Amino acid sequence: MSPTKQVVEQAETRSNAQDSSTWWSRCLGEPMVHFVLLGALIFGIDHFLLTRSDDPNTIVVGAQVDLEARQVFKAARGTEPDAAQLAALRKVWLDNEIMYREGIALQVDQGDKGIRDRVIFKALNIISSNLQRPPYDDKLLRDWFESRREKYDEPTRFDFQEAVLSDDNTEPAARAFAAALNAGTPGDAKAGLRVFKGRPRSNVLQSYGPEFTAALEVSPVGEWRAHSTKDGWRVVQLTALAPGKPAVFENLYGVVLQDWTDVVMAEQRSAAVDALAKKYTIRYESEAK
Amino acid sequence: MTKHFKQGPVSLAVAALVGSAALLASPQTQAAPKVPGKYVAGDFHNHTTCSDGATSMQKLVKTSMDSPWGLDWFVQAGHGGTGSRNCSLPEDASLETPNYPFVAGQGPTTTWANSIGVDKLKGVVSGTGATRNMWRWQSLQEVQYQVLEHLAERTNQPLFLGLESVVAGHEHTSMSVITGQMPFGSDPGTPLTVPGYVPLGGYTAKGNATALAQWAYCFDRNTSDTSRGNITGSAIGNNWECSVPGSLNAADPSWNVAAQKLVPATGTGTGDRGHNKTVEAVKWMAAFHPNASYYIPAHLERAGPFNPNGNNGFNIEHLRNFNNAAPNVAFGFETQPGHGASSDRGEYLPKRNNFGTGNFNTGTALVNVDTAGGTTYGGTGVYGAVVGGVWDALLGEGRNFWFFASSDWHNRGQFGVDDRRSTQDFWPGEYQRNYTMVRNNGDKLRPQKIVDGLRTGNNFAASGQLIDRMAFVACASYAGPARRSDASVEALAVNAALNNTDTDVSGCATMGEKLVVRPGADIVVSIVVRDPDGVNVAPYSFDNPSLAQVGISQPLNRPVLDHIDLIRGMVTGFKTPGAADYAGEWPRNTNWLREDGTTTGLGAVPVAAKNTTATILKTFNGDGAAPSWTSQVVEGGKLLKMTFRIPAVNASQYLRLRGTNLPASVPFETDASGNPLSDLYTNAADPSKLRIACTVAPSAAEPAILTTGTVDGCPAHMEVVRGQKMLSYDVAAWADLWFYSNPIYVQVNGSSVVAGVK
Repeated sequence: MSPTKQVVEQAETRSNAQDSSTWWSRCLGEPMVHFVLLGALIFGIDHFLLTRSDDPNTIVVGAQVDLEARQVFKAARGTEPDAAQLAALRKVWLDNEIMYREGIALQVDQGDKGIRDRVIFKALNIISSNLQRPPYDDKLLRDWFESRREKYDEPTRFDFQEAVLSDDNTEPAARAFAAALNAGTPGDAKAGLRVFKGRPRSNVLQSYGPEFTAALEVSPVGEWRAHSTKDGWRVVQLTALAPGKPAVFENLYGVVLQDWTDVVMAEQRSAAVDALAKKYTIRYESEAK
Repeated sequence: MTKHFKQGPVSLAVAALVGSAALLASPQTQAAPKVPGKYVAGDFHNHTTCSDGATSMQKLVKTSMDSPWGLDWFVQAGHGGTGSRNCSLPEDASLETPNYPFVAGQGPTTTWANSIGVDKLKGVVSGTGATRNMWRWQSLQEVQYQVLEHLAERTNQPLFLGLESVVAGHEHTSMSVITGQMPFGSDPGTPLTVPGYVPLGGYTAKGNATALAQWAYCFDRNTSDTSRGNITGSAIGNNWECSVPGSLNAADPSWNVAAQKLVPATGTGTGDRGHNKTVEAVKWMAAFHPNASYYIPAHLERAGPFNPNGNNGFNIEHLRNFNNAAPNVAFGFETQPGHGASSDRGEYLPKRNNFGTGNFNTGTALVNVDTAGGTTYGGTGVYGAVVGGVWDALLGEGRNFWFFASSDWHNRGQFGVDDRRSTQDFWPGEYQRNYTMVRNNGDKLRPQKIVDGLRTGNNFAASGQLIDRMAFVACASYAGPARRSDASVEALAVNAALNNTDTDVSGCATMGEKLVVRPGADIVVSIVVRDPDGVNVAPYSFDNPSLAQVGISQPLNRPVLDHIDLIRGMVTGFKTPGAADYAGEWPRNTNWLREDGTTTGLGAVPVAAKNTTATILKTFNGDGAAPSWTSQVVEGGKLLKMTFRIPAVNASQYLRLRGTNLPASVPFETDASGNPLSDLYTNAADPSKLRIACTVAPSAAEPAILTTGTVDGCPAHMEVVRGQKMLSYDVAAWADLWFYSNPIYVQVNGSSVVAGVK
């Protein structure tokens, strides 16, 4: 039994066993149905291609070729091709089709990462174009927003500058330099001045560590201080601190809807690929991850 | 206790080199005036269908030279070994010339068998049927050079032919021997007259690439042909032999009499034997083509550390060995690899390399080995990107060992070659460029002048058109009447940058040069770069997602230089072969790059492979109330000018620059000191590690094919993680731009001699 026939027969069997209208209305929301239909579509395309390749010595130069040729020509030259030009374009298409078939026969596509990536990309596009966004309401979106609030809240932001130390970034050197800066030495007296504007707290935490972040939060604005960081001492001056603000769902409704849509569509896409994976026997070897 | 060790030819060579260089270096002498030249942009590593690229010679040259990013010079250099496809056949009529017309039904993927026929293929038979191969030596000698000379003649463009050699004992190297190529002026050239040669294309070249072809036959690892460059099964042809003056040659156990070349045995010791052959390769170049060749290991971190039982990466000792054996040939490395848009930037990735059965160091079960450093760092390999790492270790010896970048063009990944988007490579010049000082005195750029320029190290590499001009000058200043003002040095640099050239002033030096001073001299360093106007050639006009993390709105196609770091390291002299600090492997796998993308730091790096004196001496930027650079609007952009005085130097040292569009402390891009972080966080091959969200929605549907215009939101091909597009592929590359200068040496009398630079 061919895979296409099997899928169709499975769908028919299930369809006959239930009332068609309720079955469809319930199942159209089910991701698995999408995958079955998608699988049927892919197998259909596959079958179409196989049908063409069943007769490898026949090439049809038809209306679709002419249409594409006219479009390409017009895009390049701004006019429609005349008969001779169209004939030349048909010849180019035919030559390319011959070379394409010869190339496939020679398996020149095998081992070509570029071709592999492109086929994957196109297959994913087919999958994506057949997905549908599930229904949603305000409660669903609001719950989703609240569970990801940290993404939408405006974080505490720091303005600060670092007077960069030269070779010696020990505590005594840092403290001495901070004292000198507070006494009027220019900030770039050693290895230069780095200026940071509006850096979110998470950024400071990641780049300098928790000890530094906590110390910066309580630093007086305008005072140079020596701070320990995860990679040595630094001399830093807090120039402004803007407290964080919680995000308001209503103000971000459109953004949240788009974010939620992106996430659920990606989940559907992954599930679709997982469903397709079921027809393969996948064997992991020891070092593969 | 005195340690004695046997000195091999390499160590004797280095001893002789250090001795002679020290003699040459002593008192200051009045150098001859420099021949005038300009910084010109080029690329020397890229592929056609003759190896594993996607385009013809014609299309590669045209796109590299005539596109909006058009280069000033170009070296076509595909892999050594064999190829089954005829890259001299153009894709379409727009690329045809009278000598290489477009033939309907044929193109650059047409096989040799189906174009010229198998009877024209020389050497030991390789491949079968329609995919019979042509050896690279024949392809270089009889096809690729002819196309390139033909194109150079038609377009009056500076083109020549090189090779990405598959290296015995290691992975790959960008190299060339230009002898015979592109004759000009009164030189009528030496056309190819090898017995049995029948022209395979429509153009009869005036010059030849026989020297390059012979090198490929003799020394490329993938060239297992034993025909001596002859017609299959005959003695008609080149009859090459590959001996090196002063070497063992026929007395070497690896010598193959029939092939008249070294053919090292495989198995245990493959890497060691292969490396020894490659040292012979650079010695051959130095002996026969001392000024007409170069040898620059390519993406040299990619294949991991050196493997004595296989053909993997390069450790620092191998770079030292090459530079010792042929200092005028092996003068640098391509530590900023191509493949910048790949799912693993540069194709550098953890656990990439299978080192065979078992871990040769510990005897334990096989563990695949990371690219050295695990990934790239801001697009540059760990050897060049880490301050205090391998490059600084080499510079700390006073070696002439220079930084280069390349495109490594093959294809566009999931896109067609003409699409502006990419998930694999950038065209030569599109993203990375070497800007090389070529002293042609107003004459046309010639291969010899370009190779001379590469050799001097007066070169900087920039990505994403971040900067397009640089003047980097260091001048001695002594107390008293000889005191040189900061302003006077900056004026020299400004003048040089305005004219896209360097300086020629006594007591001053620029990249690749050595400034010899008395103890106590101040060194005035002036840096002037041009941040070009308008947009670069990125196809994306939405804000840089990396910078968006820290509240900076900056379109990807309008990058702005954020800061420049002046890096200094001390020079302590050449390491002695065999000594404990001569050889050392960069820490492999999680001994360097941890699972979370952080690194262990230089503490884990062996002494031989680091220079802990290297540090950021000064950082310059345009921020704050008192910017540390000043700007001047000029034609084509904005000059950024900065000058710094190093007081009273008493020890030999070097100064180098790096710059970027990214400030310090950009999450998942730079650390608090402005160092590039591992690109693990933007490499799509492991989506679980992606960290930078791309949140800008395009205003319109993306076209299926993008050949003109830009995309104003995160493109569809970016990796998606839990519904969120994440910074990856070409977008990640355009977000993360860097430039690197080569060093200026300062040699203080009485301190260490900078022996590698005259």
